[in-house]
Order: sequence, then C-alpha cells, then structure tokens
Amino acid sequence: MKRTLKWTAVITIVVLLVPSLVMAGGGKETKTAGPVKLSLWGGFPEMEAFYKYAAEEYRKSHPNVEFTILTHPLREFEQKLSATVPSNTAADIIEISMYANQKFIEAGLIPELPAKVKDYFLAPNRFSDFVKKNNTYKDKLYGLPIFQGRTALFWNKKMFQEAGFSGPPKTLTEMAQFAKKLAKYDANGNLIRSGHSLRLSGQGSGVAEKFWFVLYPMGGSILEESKEKGKYHAGYNNDAGRRALKYYIDALYVDKWDSHAIKHDADAFELELTAMFFRESWVIGDIAKKAPNLSYDTAPVPADVRWGRITNPVNLYVTRSCKNPDAAWDFAMFLNEEKNLVWLLDNVGWLPVRQDINLDSVLAKKPQFKAFVMSDPKYEEFGYTVIAVFDEIMTKLAERLVAAYLDKSLANNPSGIAKVIQDAANETNEILKRAKLYGE
Amino acid sequence: MNRMELQKRIFAYSAVIPVVLIFAFLRVVPIFQNFLYSFFNSTVVDPMQEFIGIENYKELFKDNLFLLSLKNTTLFALFVTVFSVGLALLVAVLLATKTALGGLFETLYFLPVITPMVPVAVVWKWIYDPTYGLLNYCLSLFGIKPLGWLVYPDLAIWAIIIMSVWKVIGYNMIIFLVGIRDIPDSYIEAATIDGGNKFQVFRFIILPLLRPILLFVTIISTINAYNVFTQVFIMTSGPQGAPGNAVRTLVFDIYENAFRYFKTGYAASEAVVLFLIVLLLTLVQLRTGGKER
Repeated sequence: MKRTLKWTAVITIVVLLVPSLVMAGGGKETKTAGPVKLSLWGGFPEMEAFYKYAAEEYRKSHPNVEFTILTHPLREFEQKLSATVPSNTAADIIEISMYANQKFIEAGLIPELPAKVKDYFLAPNRFSDFVKKNNTYKDKLYGLPIFQGRTALFWNKKMFQEAGFSGPPKTLTEMAQFAKKLAKYDANGNLIRSGHSLRLSGQGSGVAEKFWFVLYPMGGSILEESKEKGKYHAGYNNDAGRRALKYYIDALYVDKWDSHAIKHDADAFELELTAMFFRESWVIGDIAKKAPNLSYDTAPVPADVRWGRITNPVNLYVTRSCKNPDAAWDFAMFLNEEKNLVWLLDNVGWLPVRQDINLDSVLAKKPQFKAFVMSDPKYEEFGYTVIAVFDEIMTKLAERLVAAYLDKSLANNPSGIAKVIQDAANETNEILKRAKLYGE
Repeated sequence: MNRMELQKRIFAYSAVIPVVLIFAFLRVVPIFQNFLYSFFNSTVVDPMQEFIGIENYKELFKDNLFLLSLKNTTLFALFVTVFSVGLALLVAVLLATKTALGGLFETLYFLPVITPMVPVAVVWKWIYDPTYGLLNYCLSLFGIKPLGWLVYPDLAIWAIIIMSVWKVIGYNMIIFLVGIRDIPDSYIEAATIDGGNKFQVFRFIILPLLRPILLFVTIISTINAYNVFTQVFIMTSGPQGAPGNAVRTLVFDIYENAFRYFKTGYAASEAVVLFLIVLLLTLVQLRTGGKER
C-alpha cells in the first residue's frame, strides 16, 4: 500500500513538473512569437493612410505585431516631441526631418542606426550622397529616410494658354514677367487672381524656406559654411539676399501680381486663385482629392545665376524608449520596400527618398511627378543645415521677412531692403555665435 | 486636548494633507523650480547646465521680441478685459429682468464659453479669410473692400481681441447675472419709488453692490488675458495665418523659446516676469477695489 502511494506521488510530481519544464524551456520562443506592440507618430497627417496601409501589409507576415499610428500637424508634432522625447514617452518610431530632430540627437536622446539598418542605408545607389551627408552627425548615421520634400513649380495650364504662354517660365526674371501678365484685377483694381502665390505670412520657418527657393537660384543661401569646418555665417547678406527680397517687394507693391489680401498656397491654386506657386509633391495628391479637374502641370524651379531645388528628407527614427527596437527597425525597412514606396507616391503624393526604385508606373499615370524626380547635373540640391539652432535661425528670419513683406516703404528703396537684410543677417550670426557655431 | 478632539484633528489633517501635497507637487514646486531655472543656462537634457545669475533677465530687456510680446500682451489684456467686462455687465443688466426668451439668450451667450478654444479659433480663422471669409462678405455689402484681417499687423491684434472678447463674454455675464439677481428687489423698488430712473438705479444701487463681483471678474479676466496663447497659436499657423510678431504674446514667446529653441532658462525668466506682472496687477486691483468698498 505504502509503495503504491509512493509511486502515485512520484507520477503526480512528474506529471505536474514536465509541462512546467517544457513551458520554461520554451519561454524564449513564446516571447518572440508573442504580441509585439509598435507605436508610430508622424508630423504629416496625409501620411497616416500610408502607414495604416503598410501596417496591414506587414501584419500579413507578422500577425503578432500590433500598430498604433498617430499623426499631427507638423508644428504641434514638434511640440509633442519636445515634451516626450526627453522624458522617454515618445512613440517607438517617430517620423521627422533631420534638422528638427537634431537638438535631440545632439543631446544623445536618439540612438544611431543599428548595424543592420546602417548596411541597408549604405547599400550602393540606394540613397544619394546628399542624403547620406544630411543624416550623418559626428560620423554616425541617424534615421532611415522614407520620403522627401522637394520643390517644383506648379502652373495652371489653362491660365497660361489664355495668356499666350506655351510653357512654364525657365528663369526667375521670366517668372515675374509671366506672373505680371497672369494676374487678374477687378474693376476697382483689386487683385482677384495672383500671378504667382508667394508665401507671405504665418508662424514658424515656412516663410524663410520659401524665400530660400528664390534666394538660392540668385546665388545666396541661408547659411554658408566658413573656412573652418562646422562653422557658419549668414549666407544672404549679399546681392542675392537683397535681390530676393526685392523680388518679393516688387511683386507686392511695384508690379502687384500678389497681395496679402488674397488666398495663398495650395488652396489658392486648387481654387484657381493663382496661376503658379512653389510646393512639394504632396500637392499632387491633394489636388487629386480636392480639384480633380484642374488642368495643371509642374516644372523645375526656374533658374537665375544658378539652378537648384530644396530637398528635405524625412526620416524614421526608433526612440531609445522603444521596447522592441528590432521589430521597429524591421518595420521601418519594410516601409522602404519598393512596392510600398510606389503606393506612397501614387496614393499620398510624397516622393520616396530611395533612388534605386522604379516609379515609372506612377509617372505614366501622373506626369506631374516628373518635375520632382527629374535630375540634371546642373540642377543642384540644397537643404537644411543640420545644426540644432537652424530652426531658430529660420523662424527668426521668417518673422523679419513677414514684417518686411508688409512694409510698403521698401518699394523702390534699395537702402531699406539692404537694412532689412543686414539686420536679419546680424541676428542669424548672433544665434550662431551663441551656439559657438559662428565662423567668418 | 481630549481624545475626541485629537481624533477630529487627525481626521481633518488626513483629509487635507494629501490634497495640499498634490497641490504643492503640481503647483507650488514647479513655480519655485521655474524661479530657480531662470538663473541658469539650460539645454534640453540639463535645465541647470550653468549658473548665470541674472543674465537671462538682463537679456530679456534687450530682446526686441520679448518687449514686443510684452507690449502686445498688455494691449490685448487691456482691451479684452475692458470690453469683456463692460459688455458682459451690459448684457447681464439687460438679461436680469426675467423675460420669456431670457433663458435662450443666456444659453446663446454662454455657448462660446463651453466650446473648446481650438475649433473656435479655426472657425474664426475662416471668418477672417480674406477671400471667402464671412466678415469680408458682410463688409462687401456696405461697399468695403476685402481686408486681410489676420495678415495686416494693425488689424491682426484687433481680430484676435474681438474673437477673445466674444469667447469670454458669456462667462463674465453669468457671474454678473448671479450677482445682480442676488440683489434684494426691495433695494431696487425703494430706489424706483424715490424717483430714480433706470440708469440711476444701475449707477447707485446695482453697481456699488456688484463691486466685489466686478473686482473678481476683472481680476480673473486680466489673469486669463495675460495668459493668452491658444488663439494666437492657431491663428498664426499656416500660409493664411497672422504674422507671428504682429500678435506675438508673452506665453507664445515663452512657448517658442522653451519648446522650439529649448532655451528653458530664458523662457523661465519670461515666465517669472509674467507672474510678477499679473501679481502686481492683481494686488493693485484688490487694493483699489477694496478701498472703494
């Protein structure tokens, strides 16, 4: 009897222990196959559709991964990052430009790319040298590029035809002449359709960025690197800067082909309240939704003493608070797969940064993208200087430009224009000095 | 102290202490921390990187943007307080007499108060739109040409003042209304029997009795007006937004320095100046209001 009891106890213990041991041994596998939650935040609301589409595609091969995707308007998003990145409460993946993220990178709050992603990034011909340089800080790579803001000129074909123009302007001088002829006024002389919609107002750095579109072809830039590497000074306190500001002032008060009291930007173009304007490729997607019958095309930014367009890559970064960085980077690389990027261009309108993919299927359907993807050895690319104070420099310059655009006394006033440029450049240089980044 | 008294005290303290601690942690400590940070040079990860004494304060009074913000905020606070208090008092007096539609009007005036500021600011941005805005359309009926309400600096600050007065008037009105309805009818009847007309009743009976409420509303309105931010932030964003500097206010400047440029020490010194201004104005109002009482 005792023996039977003894054996019964042994068998019971074995029966109870074996599953426990099996479970303990298989623990690692269970963890890997278990649910993984990833959150992604972005600053471009129109990108949400892309991330949701890609997340669903990704889940077909990774059903254990769940996504939370949240997008905000850019300025609010930057504010959200300011509060959450330092406190380790940001999403696992954040989508932001290098220049806007630089302050966090310099503070050591954003991890560099892991080896696998670095290899992917540096694969021959995948990304341009410009992008590689843009994403490098102190010889380390940060962020995986996903899409880019490149500028082109949007022009209304119907209005151009009516005005007798056979194609878009090729130079800035031509652009002003075209704009003058394309502008429309009511019986009282009030502008009711601008020849070219310039960016004249609004907070943040946007006004300075758009000023740069004219400044750069004229030979200037926001910052110039000094002889000492890593040091800068204002690059617009020169003839180019003065000419660029004069271009705006003439448009408003001399030739009067634009005005503050009229609608601007994409809204104006879609409502046929302007004949031309500069913008990124997302507007093509926006027009398809809001003004599908609009007859328009795009063209490279007109040239002056040189020819160039701004390129601003937007990257995906995995934050240091991410609990599943491998899964997060895997998803970031999945987003960069050719089929997904083609979907992005076709459905959202943002231009992929990868240059080793074939976009012909979309270009055949939507030829307006051609001006954005075209390349020419003479067509230069320029972009934001990757220093933490660049946003402050741009924002403060923008505020001065907004005030200057409202100042009628600057019309036919070269010394007034020179003073505005001089004062703005002094402020830019002061910001650089404070950040110990100034060099003659 | 007997046992009963001790138990009462323990109960009272145990009820109050957690609230006081939470209040201190969330309100008092950050205020002192802010004072402290204002004497430091700061970065995003280290708010006390380098002690610089009163350098931030010296810099403030050389900073044109800060001085402009101070001027704009004072202008904004002055007009919003005067108009929102004055008009709310007028509306409250008119609605104090109970009529069939009084409740409806009270609700209509109060609706903007309960509507969140962000959608309200967006709607007003549309109203001010130079091409399709309702305001320019209404003005065009009188032959007035379209105006860039949010674009021209002279107009932009007024556009935001108008919107802010509209938003706050209902709140002030309700408080005045409660105060007026609390005045015993016998006082007003006595004044009327003595031959006082409606204005005299208002001037010599209602207004003096409303003085504590008037003081309260004025102080609250001043504090809120000095803290203006949301409507400025919304109305200056985007290509149709107002020029930032034309409507730059102190809290907007603090936000920009703290959360865009990460100059937290500098932003802290601006917050201290804002705190001192509001404190001073409140003390002046309390003193003048109290004396006359």
